[in-house]
Amino acid sequence: MRGCGFLVLAAIPAAAMAQAEPPSAQGDVSLTIYNNDLALVQDVRRMNLPTGRTRQEFPDVSAAIRPETVTLSADGTGIVEQNFDYDLLTPDKLMDKAVGQTVTVVRTNPATGVETRESALILANNGGTVVRIGDRIEVLDRYGARVIFPRLPDGLRARPTLSVTLDTTSPGTRPVSLNYLSRGFGWKADYVALFDEAAGKIDVQGWITLNNASGTTFGAARVLLVAGAVGDGSPSYGPRRPVMPGNRMGTQSANRESLGDFYVYPIAGRTTVANAQQKQVSFLDVAGAPAQKAYHFRNGWMASQTDAQSADTVLRFSSASDGRLGDALPAGTVRVYMRDAPGQPQFIGENSIDHTPMGSSLALKTGEAFDVKVQPVVQKRERITSDEWERTARYRVSVNGAPADVVTVDESKTYWRTTMTYTVTNARAAPITVEVVQAGLDRGWRDSRVPAESIKGTQRSRDERTWQVPVPANGETVLTVQFDTRY
Amino acid sequence: MRRLFAFLPLALALSALAVVAVRAQQIVVSPAPEAVAVSVYRAPDRDADTAMTLDWLEGYALVTETRTVAIPAGRATIRFEGVAAGLFPESAIVTGLPDGVREKNLDADLLSPRSLYARMFGRTVTLRRTLPGSGKVVEERAVIRSGPDGAAIVQTAAGFEVADCGGGTTDELVYSQAPADFSARPTLSIETQGDAARTVTLSLSYLAWGFDWQANYVVRMNRDGRSADLDAWVTLASSDSTRFADAETAVIAGKVNREDGPRGDGPSGGELVLRCFLRPMLAAPPPVALPAPPPAPMVMMEADIVVTAQRSMGAMAAPVTVQREELGDLKLYRVPVPVTVAANAQKQVALMRKRGVKLEALYHADIIGTDSEGVRQMLRTRNRKQEGLGLPLPGGPLAVFEPHGDTMLLAGEGSMPDRAEGEDVEIMLSGSTQVTLETEVTARAARSQTVRLTARNARPVPVRFEARINHYPGTVVKAERPGRGGGAVLRKDGRTIWAVDLPANAEVTWSYRLVEGG
Repeated sequence: MRGCGFLVLAAIPAAAMAQAEPPSAQGDVSLTIYNNDLALVQDVRRMNLPTGRTRQEFPDVSAAIRPETVTLSADGTGIVEQNFDYDLLTPDKLMDKAVGQTVTVVRTNPATGVETRESALILANNGGTVVRIGDRIEVLDRYGARVIFPRLPDGLRARPTLSVTLDTTSPGTRPVSLNYLSRGFGWKADYVALFDEAAGKIDVQGWITLNNASGTTFGAARVLLVAGAVGDGSPSYGPRRPVMPGNRMGTQSANRESLGDFYVYPIAGRTTVANAQQKQVSFLDVAGAPAQKAYHFRNGWMASQTDAQSADTVLRFSSASDGRLGDALPAGTVRVYMRDAPGQPQFIGENSIDHTPMGSSLALKTGEAFDVKVQPVVQKRERITSDEWERTARYRVSVNGAPADVVTVDESKTYWRTTMTYTVTNARAAPITVEVVQAGLDRGWRDSRVPAESIKGTQRSRDERTWQVPVPANGETVLTVQFDTRY
Repeated sequence: MRRLFAFLPLALALSALAVVAVRAQQIVVSPAPEAVAVSVYRAPDRDADTAMTLDWLEGYALVTETRTVAIPAGRATIRFEGVAAGLFPESAIVTGLPDGVREKNLDADLLSPRSLYARMFGRTVTLRRTLPGSGKVVEERAVIRSGPDGAAIVQTAAGFEVADCGGGTTDELVYSQAPADFSARPTLSIETQGDAARTVTLSLSYLAWGFDWQANYVVRMNRDGRSADLDAWVTLASSDSTRFADAETAVIAGKVNREDGPRGDGPSGGELVLRCFLRPMLAAPPPVALPAPPPAPMVMMEADIVVTAQRSMGAMAAPVTVQREELGDLKLYRVPVPVTVAANAQKQVALMRKRGVKLEALYHADIIGTDSEGVRQMLRTRNRKQEGLGLPLPGGPLAVFEPHGDTMLLAGEGSMPDRAEGEDVEIMLSGSTQVTLETEVTARAARSQTVRLTARNARPVPVRFEARINHYPGTVVKAERPGRGGGAVLRKDGRTIWAVDLPANAEVTWSYRLVEGG
């Protein structure tokens, strides 16, 4: 309990009290904030400790503290025990703890407004409050009397409070370092990319966006951000999104401070991280990094579309050291802007990136092109039989002790031949190239084939084949491909 | 902010009653922008035929504001007021500051009953009691002794008690003033570090939710039934509480990728619930008649709605028409004059006007394998100059009017997704009652079925009819060659189409065989 304790109320003008903000009890605070709702708080307070066993309270710790992680260190003192009390002061607990005590019961006569005050001994508070007033026993009712307690019970607190019992050998003022983990913190990166399509360049600004939902304000703190999720032990088993071609993680090290596997981003100077605040601090500002626009369309196996579908617009750039954007990029959102005719930046789309090492190639879908469309159609699907025979089973049969017969089952290989067309249209006034990907070519059989294709494709993986389809301005190109598969 | 105030020992406060606020840095408030530009983006997941819900708009806007701010030397905080309520703070960009931005902050510690109570912990408030019966009001001083999570436990001159609990009294807490660092709304601010004081014109841009737009088409068929006049409107709406006066306004067509950002929530968790340890034992006394709940606030849409049907009927001069620009792979439509994007309002401007667009009206049925999905009226054209079009058509709903005597009547409603130049445009309208299709399976073999289609026309005029057969890949349609007057069989986009001119009050049949596995 902090503040002024018991005071003579009548002597204090309310206005003066209302203005005096109680100071924070925090000392020199350092915050190390991780990506996953976690922060390490280091709080060095100057405390005057008397010799012997004393109980010290630490107000103004994070309201989202993980009390099991608290460590305290100071010279000339040792910890006897540390407690995190969250027995909060509520009306029910106030009454529970008042059992056996004498309180004042006030009744107001509704007709006359006259107040009567009587002393009452609280006998029990079990689903209702039983009191003795003089020589009679009463049950207090919501609409009957109100109760005035002489004092607040010990051990009940207005808010969760950390307290430590210390055994001090030498008295005096010294720095006491309090370290703990807290929930309610997180950060991510936000990138602003201004794309100049004609010049093939992007200007990128990176901002660190940190959130404090811990319920506590930390003033004048040193802040360090760690690009990683610590203690995130369980791998996630969610469905994986197909990777856009052109994304490749890099192998270069950025010229930044690091902590093991993680890069760390210090915020220069001291800053106040207020409760319920979202704060952004710049960490990256580069101009004129090379970037290109590309078109991409991915088709699922045997997907036919009744309407042409817009191709994805993809922004490609690199975070390699030889480009201008040579840096490790913490996970976050990249928002892409382009200038309109009068030169004002307009938003053209956003996408998220993972923690990206330096030297990576990035391909981010920003949106879908209005004027570039692809219509995949299954034109024909027929059964074809190869002349190959395949031994599918071989087993021995013996009947009543007779010599065993070896039975072999041979089967002709059956293939399906699927003819697909991909009609790529371009309503733009400039020729373009669209990357068309067909997925689903590997379903456990390893012998899918492409006997004919009107444009030479490349097999990106067993599952996916890609074609670079050139389309003239205001024109269309039809890509025809045959697939031989066993399904 | 707490550190802005110096703490004085209590004794000094008692004697001097003085509080010295140490200003660590200056605060500059920028109340409103001088000029603003608003670019509205469609709701990402709303289909062309889904109407906008005006009080729950799921699109967004890029707001670019120009503000002039006097920036002092040294460290300063600049607070931006009058920004859109739905702003996404992480998207805010400030440009034009000579010394850059130290940090950007969005403070959402809002003034609420709960935050006020929590902040006044340990300090004096006024407890206002309404006594039962007489209704007399008594005020006394009290010090708050509990956190905001349970109830209000206060210390009065008599001792400790729970506010609003027992005795038949009704208690209220009265605070002498609100702490200065709580805001009424989330407030965006930046911190600057300048060498010298100067006045700068800066640009603040951000994304904000609570906006949406769509194209609305009005088709007026000509009497020949083969051409029509097409009027298109841009309908844009804002459910934001901020009004943008004389804004340069644009709408953006095309699909823009968005990550699933949280749609901003209104302030919440600000209530203070007063609990009591006493429970009602007996029947409660007759409650004071509760005042009737206030009527639910009506969402007043500032009506700026052009009645499309009426306006397009008249021979009105061409209204203000938006101008199209290319924006990467998107289309930007700029309103050429400044308009006011009012709070909770909808607005329409002309998108285009085309005369004599060639349109084919026909009846259409989609068949899945052997089952018909029903006959619908369809309008078909191609988005080319030859047909009187040849320009990007952003998606949206469409209303078709037909001449009827001297007047025009609504003949159907449909919708159209985004259509690029050169694409086929097919608009499905309402279901047909006078042109019908019957499907029968007339023969069934191990791997094949024979289906007979009978198209009937009960109208006194000949109509064009098309049936489109959709099937699984690997199934082959073996079509019967239609006889004389029996139409034609085509193949388009991997599907078989039977197209026939149905004479007035007549029926035509045609059969096909579905063969599995080729």
